[in-house]
Amino acid sequence: MSKSDLTISLNEVLFYFTRAGFGVNAPIGISEDFARSNIWIAQNGFDPSECSLLALDNLDSQKSSLSIQFEKSSNGGHLFCPEDNVLSALEASVSCVDWIEFNGINGALKVANVDCPLLVVSALGANQCTGIKVLWIDQSNNLYQVNLIDDGKWEIIASSESPIENSSYADIEISAFDASEKTSIKNGKLKTFNVANEKLKALNSGVKVGDKWPQIYEYFSRCLVKSSAESRASGAGAGLVDTD
Amino acid sequence: MANEAVLIDIESDFMRTPEKVMRLDRMGSSFPTRLSFMRTLIRRMSEENWKFERTLRNVDKDGYGVSVYSAITPKRTYSLIAFTQEIPADMRTDRVIAEVWDATFSLFDGVPTQDDIDYLSNNTPLQEGGRYRPSELVLARANKSLRVFEDIISSLASGVQPDLELISSVGYLMRTTAVYGSGKFGCADREKIANREECKTPFHIELLAVYLIRWFTIDMVEELAKERGGKKAVRLDKNISQFIGVGNSTGLGMAPFLLKHPALIHNWVVAKETALARVRSIETALPNTIEVFLRSLRQASQHIDEWNVADEVQSARISLLTDEIQALRMWCEDESNIYRPYPWNGIYQYVEDNFSLECQEMVVSLIIEPHGSIVDDLADTMSTSSTPKFKADMTLSQLKEGVEDAYNWATTIDFSLEESQHHFWYYSEDKLEPRFGSKGVDEGVEQEMPLAIGRDVHDLNKVLQVIDEDMPIGEFVMMYPQFRHIIRRIQNTFERPYSEVQDNLLSESMRPLDLLRFKLAFFGASKFDPKSDLWTRISMYQGAPLPDQIQDSNHDCWSYPIAGRSQSYPCVNCLCQKAI
Repeated sequence: MSKSDLTISLNEVLFYFTRAGFGVNAPIGISEDFARSNIWIAQNGFDPSECSLLALDNLDSQKSSLSIQFEKSSNGGHLFCPEDNVLSALEASVSCVDWIEFNGINGALKVANVDCPLLVVSALGANQCTGIKVLWIDQSNNLYQVNLIDDGKWEIIASSESPIENSSYADIEISAFDASEKTSIKNGKLKTFNVANEKLKALNSGVKVGDKWPQIYEYFSRCLVKSSAESRASGAGAGLVDTD
Repeated sequence: MANEAVLIDIESDFMRTPEKVMRLDRMGSSFPTRLSFMRTLIRRMSEENWKFERTLRNVDKDGYGVSVYSAITPKRTYSLIAFTQEIPADMRTDRVIAEVWDATFSLFDGVPTQDDIDYLSNNTPLQEGGRYRPSELVLARANKSLRVFEDIISSLASGVQPDLELISSVGYLMRTTAVYGSGKFGCADREKIANREECKTPFHIELLAVYLIRWFTIDMVEELAKERGGKKAVRLDKNISQFIGVGNSTGLGMAPFLLKHPALIHNWVVAKETALARVRSIETALPNTIEVFLRSLRQASQHIDEWNVADEVQSARISLLTDEIQALRMWCEDESNIYRPYPWNGIYQYVEDNFSLECQEMVVSLIIEPHGSIVDDLADTMSTSSTPKFKADMTLSQLKEGVEDAYNWATTIDFSLEESQHHFWYYSEDKLEPRFGSKGVDEGVEQEMPLAIGRDVHDLNKVLQVIDEDMPIGEFVMMYPQFRHIIRRIQNTFERPYSEVQDNLLSESMRPLDLLRFKLAFFGASKFDPKSDLWTRISMYQGAPLPDQIQDSNHDCWSYPIAGRSQSYPCVNCLCQKAI
């Protein structure tokens, strides 16, 4: 399982990503949500390890933080890391979902300096937060707008060809999606997703994970306990040779 | 979800409370009922007239090679691909860490091509070491029962039926040591098949694989006997082959499953408890049901006589059960005890007031049994696609109130005592084998699985006592992210009160075995044979009709089977209408 270029199931995404989050010291509740976000990513045809590795690396090396604070603003709210650090997408994503659940989409929610914006989008998607627009400019000055239109459809409008899963370090703005409103991204490239179709493909063909998978597995494997002769002999109850 | 909504009548006077049902000692006394998944699968097979075929047998004179056994349902075919090989006796173990097995299996979604079989021949025998595709639904393996397997072949080869006592003492020819589904090792996700009629009930696809494995084991000994004995060989007597189940060895892996699927567990328990409540609320017994129950007590007594285990605790419980069922029979001889209003409630109440949990739970199973007409619809309510969600719009005061109401069992545990936090659960790097460790003895407490529900609720409750109740819960988890998972769990329990095991799973006295038996009883397993507090052997499908008996009128009459007899559980549910 530690090799690259594997095809895995959605259940394996849940299993390994929950523990990978835990492996970089994210609390289990956040790790569970992180894994569910990765299922949504996988169901939509992306490689979840490609989308999530940076967020895990950052937490592991403490380049990002789970500390978060909320401030009300005249037009909504503002989520940020009080330590003046990069805000981990693992925390930003659950906090955005919670905020929308609590407030609805009245006004705009701004989230400062998030390492992996697509993880925030996927958390919203995984929690059926629809009628929402997510906008950001990343550190490479690529502009993205993601419209979560309804349960069945979402779309990406991007200013460049650069893959959205590689987009990193951005201030995000989440607001209500208005179909009649024109995008602010000039000459943007549009990609639409039909959730049911994409999901069917994942169920029938599995989820392909590429060269970043071994590092996800490495984080996962931190949850495993070294086997000793004693635990091998007695930790599972049954004997090492069983006949009847 | 519609089904989930209609059935719950938790306010019914006859419904047992979660506080009563979801305790480890009662869970560890569970018996299968007619709602158990093996029973409902067999009924479906019969109702839908499933066909069964052996479509390939490419094995040598010792039975080593590949075979394919198919189940043909009205809409689809499912194929069990079985690989058999010779293995050294000292490499047989029931553990996850095993490396070789006598037989390995994949349940294929459809009819496999030669390419599929070739692909699986390089993977299935490796089990966890192989990789599988969404076309594979189940992965499993089994080892021979050394006591029985060879003996039966020799007997049949020489033209005589095998020793029934020996068969009865084991109950199966092969014992599965793992049956994996739901996306394990690349196999199909549950969601791929969850909307198929034949797969909607939980674990039906895994239990179909087990049913085909049972057929494969019986077919295998008969073929090997023929190979060895030629014309002199005989086939197994039908009464004997129907009595042969398939064994299973179950360890710690099942326990985390129960804890990780609270919504599903709630639905299972509510279905069973609703069935019991419906029966207890009957004012006048339905025709013949009392007579059937009285006869079933006799059959259950004989079944218990054949339930012999080495484990001292279980052996004592079986011995007590024998006496209690006998005492119940005598009590029932006084007609005034049973021919009265609300007879089933009277019987249940008498048993609850006087007998052990083991006896209480067996009687629950026995009084539900004759009432197929009023409980079988509940089988359709036992699955769920719901995943508990974190609800940020709940207030902290609501949460606090909920903890007080539903988690008193957790908040009153003294976790400062060593014995309250004696154990921890973990995954070993050894093939991810789930293990149960003791603090201060075993390494790995830092990597503990998040199954310490009681302790986490206890810790949360302490913080809730000192925090401003007006704080929105979303803000609270920003400050205390470590409580997110337990809050989600508590919120789920508000909606699904039967989802939580109401005992401390870290306690020194905790027996994982209780969780295993609870789940296995829902599967329909019988003859629980604990080998330690951490694992048990069981029989599955013992007494169940074989593929060529699925259309028999008594296909549903196989509860509490007795060795060597035509399965004759007294019945008012099926077309056989046995004399009562």
